[in-house]
Amino acid sequence: MSGQAAGRYVGQSIKRKEDPRLLTGQGRYVDDVQLPNMAHVAFVRSNIARGKITNLDISEALQVPGVIAIYTGDDLNPYIKEYWHTMGGPRPALDDPSGAHPPASVLAPGDVRFVGDPIAMVIAENRYVAEDAAEMVIVDIDVEEPIIGLDMAVAHPEMKVHHELNKNFSGIMPYMEVPPVDEMMASAPHVVTRRFKQARATNVPMEPRGIIVKHDRGANEITIWSATQNAHEVRSFCARLIGFPAQRIRAIAGDVGGGFGQKMMVSRDEAAMMIAGYLLGDRPIKWIEDRRESLIAANQAREEWVDVTMAVTPEGDIMGCRVNFLEDVGAYPPGAGGGAGMSAGMFPGPYKMPVVIPQGTSYFTNTCGKAPYRGPWMMETVAREQMMDHVAAEIGIDPIEFRRRNIIHQSDLPYTTCTTLVYDVVTPEETLDQAMEMLDLAKFRAEQEKARAEGRLLGLGVGVYIEPSAIAFGILSSDQANVRMDENGKVLVALSSGSHGHSIETTMPQVIAEHLGCDIDDIIIMQGDTASAPIGPGTGGSRTAVIVGGACQTAAGKLKAKILEIAAHTLEANVDDLEVNDSVVSVKGTPAKQLPFAQIAAMAYMMPEMLPEGMEMGLEVSARYKPAGSFTYSNATHVCTVEVDPKTGMVKILRYIVSEDCGQMINPMVVEGQIAGGVVQGIGGVLFEHMIYDKDGNPLATTFLDYLVPTAPEIPDIEYGHIQTMSNSLGGYKGMGEGGAIVSPPTVANAIHDAVKHLGVHPTDFPLGPSQIRDLLVHAGAAV
Amino acid sequence: MKPAPFEMHLPTSVSEVVALLDEHGDLAKPIAGGQSLVPMMSLRLASFEHLIDLNGVSELNQVSVNGDSLRIGAMVRQSTAEHDPQIVKSAPLVAKAIPHIGHFQIRNRGTVGGSIAHADPSSELPAVALALDATIEAVGPNGSREIAAKDFFVSTWETSLIDGEILTGVRFPIWSGKCGFVVEEVARRHGDFALVGVAAAVQVDGSKVAKAAIALFGVGGTPVRASEAEQALIAGGTSADLDAVGNLAAMNLAPSDDVHASGEYRKAVAATIVARAIAKALKEAQS
Ligand SMILES: Cc1cc2nc3c(=O)[nH]c(=O)nc-3n(C[C@H](O)[C@H](O)[C@H](O)COP(=O)(O)OP(=O)(O)OC[C@H]3O[C@@H](n4cnc5c(N)ncnc54)[C@H](O)[C@@H]3O)c2cc1C
Repeated sequence: MSGQAAGRYVGQSIKRKEDPRLLTGQGRYVDDVQLPNMAHVAFVRSNIARGKITNLDISEALQVPGVIAIYTGDDLNPYIKEYWHTMGGPRPALDDPSGAHPPASVLAPGDVRFVGDPIAMVIAENRYVAEDAAEMVIVDIDVEEPIIGLDMAVAHPEMKVHHELNKNFSGIMPYMEVPPVDEMMASAPHVVTRRFKQARATNVPMEPRGIIVKHDRGANEITIWSATQNAHEVRSFCARLIGFPAQRIRAIAGDVGGGFGQKMMVSRDEAAMMIAGYLLGDRPIKWIEDRRESLIAANQAREEWVDVTMAVTPEGDIMGCRVNFLEDVGAYPPGAGGGAGMSAGMFPGPYKMPVVIPQGTSYFTNTCGKAPYRGPWMMETVAREQMMDHVAAEIGIDPIEFRRRNIIHQSDLPYTTCTTLVYDVVTPEETLDQAMEMLDLAKFRAEQEKARAEGRLLGLGVGVYIEPSAIAFGILSSDQANVRMDENGKVLVALSSGSHGHSIETTMPQVIAEHLGCDIDDIIIMQGDTASAPIGPGTGGSRTAVIVGGACQTAAGKLKAKILEIAAHTLEANVDDLEVNDSVVSVKGTPAKQLPFAQIAAMAYMMPEMLPEGMEMGLEVSARYKPAGSFTYSNATHVCTVEVDPKTGMVKILRYIVSEDCGQMINPMVVEGQIAGGVVQGIGGVLFEHMIYDKDGNPLATTFLDYLVPTAPEIPDIEYGHIQTMSNSLGGYKGMGEGGAIVSPPTVANAIHDAVKHLGVHPTDFPLGPSQIRDLLVHAGAAV
Repeated sequence: MKPAPFEMHLPTSVSEVVALLDEHGDLAKPIAGGQSLVPMMSLRLASFEHLIDLNGVSELNQVSVNGDSLRIGAMVRQSTAEHDPQIVKSAPLVAKAIPHIGHFQIRNRGTVGGSIAHADPSSELPAVALALDATIEAVGPNGSREIAAKDFFVSTWETSLIDGEILTGVRFPIWSGKCGFVVEEVARRHGDFALVGVAAAVQVDGSKVAKAAIALFGVGGTPVRASEAEQALIAGGTSADLDAVGNLAAMNLAPSDDVHASGEYRKAVAATIVARAIAKALKEAQS
């Protein structure tokens, strides 16, 4: 099953246009922006998870030479006008039964609610002085018992993180009694129940958060440089926050060193910067988050439990499931923070499940807030794909066979899931086949058996999933491309995208060059500056290829049409008889009759007499694209093989195989890069990364010494297989930015499970570090 | 992550260093490669008003062989020690330990003396010094003295160096004959501090084990010498029951828990890796 033939640009692994700049240290991040007279900020943060501030004394700190101002919650919080994000919409009422946002504050409002909670901000001549003074701010806190971890949040519904609210959850999908389902479950031949736990992780962008706020009182303008995925949101959030006219605010994102969801929304610390910068005026202020702050206070994710009960026939047909999603959203998630609603919808994934009854609660705890992290709803795949292996083990069938029995076939399409999603063009079975072929299953099973006889533990894990890419509703519905050919025939493109490392400067020019017929190096992309970028939600939800790509394709087509019209007029030919090659329009079959783009462009701007009657001068078009559906589905199968050391519990990944279908690939190298990055994050989430808190609410992984991001030696070469079936979105593209991170965790976990299940070990909880694995083996009597 | 203000002093001789430390007392700290000290200062876990830089003291850079011992100057970089022909030949256990220390960038700055003086219980070089019965040379306000490795490590980040004293060099006995040297460790990732590790050396004579040296790290406040295990290995010779040797080595350990592994894990895995290390060392000695 292969797609349309690769074009001159689309489908080619063109080297990244941004790399020479980024790889030689010439990128321009927030910290590279140096403004005259700029002051620097350090936050004073709580080292207590919960308590009343009984004394906050800044007098001594104010005496430190070089300190300009120190603001506390009392100084800044009263300036908050409105506090909400466009994507989530206005805040629900405090007593809304379905959920809540944390009460709005930018600095601790008289009490602290997690370790890392910003209490005060010191503004000084440089960051060194700011930190010196921050150490001298005296904070006394009357310690109260914090809510730490889901265990405690679930066990103590009467305890509240936010006294302003009448509940301790930010969202809830209540238990639903469904008598026919309950009867079916009661009488099903096999009913298996498991609780899967993910370990709390954090996004770890290479560039932590950073923001500069400059309030020019004279001009009545605010300019913000921000490490954001979404410059427009920075602007509109700031306008709402301080009640400043939005049209007088400009937000700029230069190069952004990763975000993975962390930088989709404005955080409290950044909001504090907006108010402080506004109040201070005239002196721009800069805050560059350091790594320790990033680890403890930027945002965290993945602390989730999923309870699955699955009913199956003896042959292995899934009859239905009940699923309960429990998530810890910390103290101050941006908005409600939860992802359970989307998880519920996606739970059936690539399988035919007659019924799924979801339930879920998103609990507040006295920990750092939850924010999106690459595939924020991915607990559904993490739970489902592990469940497939647990159920298979329980009913005694092969986990791959079990998947095949239930997987959606081509003949089932379009397929409507029991959760009402409609899959139009997906290939879960085909990717499973391709991955198995790449693996050579029989050969692996033979090696596994041989190794086992020698006391060595090899395992094979499989994960299959469907990715709801290009999420398109609300502000996420559409994107825009403004394509301008200048009077020299060069192409300037303004996009609503927000690059934080996605190769957009390469892939979108590929689409434009393909559909306009120009040289890719004649194109320059502008994005991330509200002064020039069309309105859009920035980058997130694996949207760029599909939605921005669709806008680019449409705009390039419109511009080409105008160019052809001018050329047809001058060449005295029919538009249909023209062709475009390498920025030259010529008459088919009469190559001597031709016009280069540069000449056409000169006519369009400077020679009105050369244009067809009534044509508007200039060569500038815009196009806004919204895909037909709310999602454009892509899919993949991942396969992993591991060796587990039975004595040390150490896991070595032997092979990692990905077969995926993201429709027409714009740039296969970029696709593989996206997959690799996600897979590494997923491997990290299972084997290494754990943002652990003690019972008092102290984060214990506050530097990279303890927060373990996988490094090159831990990661095998990833093997890629591609299947390309064209989506119904323009160009046939499907998004795939998150899938690598979504399905790799259960794939790795399943491989470990496969290595140890014959010993009676059935892991369900992440992380699976050496100590945890050895404990499981000891517990099962399989190690001493 | 910016350190508090400090003054940097750039002495060029040991006597100058000692005088500066004497002058500034508690407010001063020597800095070698800075790979442990600078992160602590940047995180403001430690602050010193005066840093006495050892990097300009060239007399601390020497490597020399003197009869049956090898001397490594305090400021010899870890990356130098890894490849220095004299060290590779005369104290292979030192050279073999070093690739386990962090990453090459860290080893390019980090020093042999800094690692031993810092006395991190998870560090490789202190265990190597203990296993090989190294002698630590120190110079301080009261002149110079020598400290046996077994008396040097007091507890986590604490040594028997007194105020104002610096480590100037370490002497390692040179082993001869048919020997095997192995450093084996379990770390979460390549380059991480070990959860638990072992430095082991054996000298064999036919089927006899003539000498054995085993020291564990990551199992307590200091590196731990496994004397009973050494005795059992010598008694058992090259066909000794290595699992039993491993168990003896781990028997009296009481490591503590941290976020990466339980104490119980460290103790159990210590036995495993001692057995694995000895097996490899015997094989090397016999080949
Ligand atoms: C990411 C990372 C990973 C690491 N992994 C490991 C690892 O796996 N194993 C390992 O062993 N180490 C590891 N380290 C630590 C590294 O090896 C350090 O270099 C070493 O611990 C200290 O050596 P230094 O020369 O950098 O000393 P410094 O950091 O300069 O000093 C450390 C301490 O020793 C004192 N000191 C230094 N030299 C002397 C002296 N001559 N006399 C008296 N006092 C002295 C200093 O005053 C200071 O208190 C790692 C470090 C990093 C940053």
